[in-house]
Amino acid sequence: MDDLAQIAKEVRRTIIHLAHRSKGPHVGAALSCADILSVLYFRVLRLDPWEKRDIFILSKAHAAMALYSTLHGKGIISDEQIAGYYKDNGTLPAHLDRFTSNYIEVSAGSLGHGFNIGLGMALGFKKKNEARKVYTLIGDGESQEGSIWEGALFAPKLGLDNFTAIMDFNNLQGYGRACDLCSFQPIKLKWEAFGWHVIEIDGHDYEALQSACMENTNGKPKIIIANTIKGKGVSFMEDQLIWHYYIVNDEHKASALEELK
Amino acid sequence: MRNTFVNTIVEAFKNRTDIFIVSGDAGLGVFDEFKETYSDRFLNLGIAEQNMASFSAGLSMAGFKVYAYNIIPFLLYRCYEQVRNDICYQKLPVVLVGIGSGITYAFQGMTHYSVEDIGIVQTLPNLKVFSPIDPIEAKLAAYYSLKSEFPVYVRLAKRGEPNIHKSDNFEITDPQLIEEGELVAIIFHGSIGEEVMKAGEMLQAKGIYPRLISLPMVIPIDTERLFYMLTGIKYVVTVEEHFVNCGIGNLLSNEYAKANPRWKLFNLGIPTKFIHEIKDLKGMREHFGISASKISDFIKQLLIKGEA
Repeated sequence: MDDLAQIAKEVRRTIIHLAHRSKGPHVGAALSCADILSVLYFRVLRLDPWEKRDIFILSKAHAAMALYSTLHGKGIISDEQIAGYYKDNGTLPAHLDRFTSNYIEVSAGSLGHGFNIGLGMALGFKKKNEARKVYTLIGDGESQEGSIWEGALFAPKLGLDNFTAIMDFNNLQGYGRACDLCSFQPIKLKWEAFGWHVIEIDGHDYEALQSACMENTNGKPKIIIANTIKGKGVSFMEDQLIWHYYIVNDEHKASALEELK
Repeated sequence: MRNTFVNTIVEAFKNRTDIFIVSGDAGLGVFDEFKETYSDRFLNLGIAEQNMASFSAGLSMAGFKVYAYNIIPFLLYRCYEQVRNDICYQKLPVVLVGIGSGITYAFQGMTHYSVEDIGIVQTLPNLKVFSPIDPIEAKLAAYYSLKSEFPVYVRLAKRGEPNIHKSDNFEITDPQLIEEGELVAIIFHGSIGEEVMKAGEMLQAKGIYPRLISLPMVIPIDTERLFYMLTGIKYVVTVEEHFVNCGIGNLLSNEYAKANPRWKLFNLGIPTKFIHEIKDLKGMREHFGISASKISDFIKQLLIKGEA
């Protein structure tokens, strides 16, 4: 799995470049899920042929920099495209617009949407007898949305075992910790009580992520609770509230890239 | 018109395997037979409107032609952002089938009325909007929706509305000349059609012959064609079972200001206030000035005074 470490590091380096150049927020959220996206795109998702591809939906779309950087690493998003991120007359917006690039499956930005779109797609594939899988990444903050729980109630009944949600559980949102703001815990028991196949893992452990994605669920939809560290990979950003919105300046960028050598 | 619309879609199931109907725990009796025959492509998604809208978008992305059925406030208002982001922004051919247009759900109360839906859908690019006056327009709107590559919203009343059109041989996207007339024209849409037709008869008895024009497609309106159809008219009155500040009267006012035509425009509709009145549908229409007799009185006054 050494090469995945390399791949994820490169994704993180791209994230730092994008965050620095754009002077935009959400670098912490993007770094948090860089390992998850690397595993998905380099180990799990079937991307060819196009008509039979698996679907990944970034429901927590404020981490779009992580998706762009991963697709760039995969050779799907070009150097030119990524150079136009968050720019006047640019190519890629801060939140997702599916008309900007192949493999941006869903336009998203407002939380609690992509998850439910994914459920609909998963049922559609089942009805069409297509062996395609749907993966979506949600946040712990996003899990405060009522729509998530509306969908959670229906997915087991519909037998959506081709659907996997991954929760990027970094326990840091815009202005606090999910576990302090609301009665978030015990989150694993909540999903289990809803009838989901729940796996809790270290969200930065490549092997654990891959095997959780592959695990059979006996007909149930799956949620992987990935315990992560917001800002992961850059020591001074790790688990720091400010790095949800803080802007990466020249100095931050230099130190971050030094760590990500 | 509700049953005609649904039956037209159900008929299409015979030749198409890609149509899917989802309901938000609504439509008593409407789907009973259909559910048996096509149980594989019908889903009651329960009382979870946000999920239903996004879920419909997902089914559509997987290649299904999705019809999402609910009472209008629960189809559009509760989940406005899902309709905006997940259906319209993604440009998916989901068909939103809304029931209980205007105040047809009297006595149910304000929560169940839809007197601002046309105002709301005006803010949703890509969405094509129909408001049929009768089962024939509902049927043609259903045909349109089956072929549409854009999202569609169809605003339906309940059931039992009589046919107004005499034939179904017309383009549903065009404004429709229902009855030829002179001097004054009435433009209308939706279930208020019944009242407008009666008002027409009342006026004819007094020797006044209004030109009656229905707008089955309310967004977009072919204003060029519509304005051409108003040639020779002096007064145009819009009538709708909808808030007067954000329906077609308002849409046409904008166009009117730009075109500055030779006729004068007057808008009849429900005042933009929460409805606390407890009346049956007939009483409501009378109270809000959109019953046949109130429409007829308004036009008589208009012709006497030259102004309302």
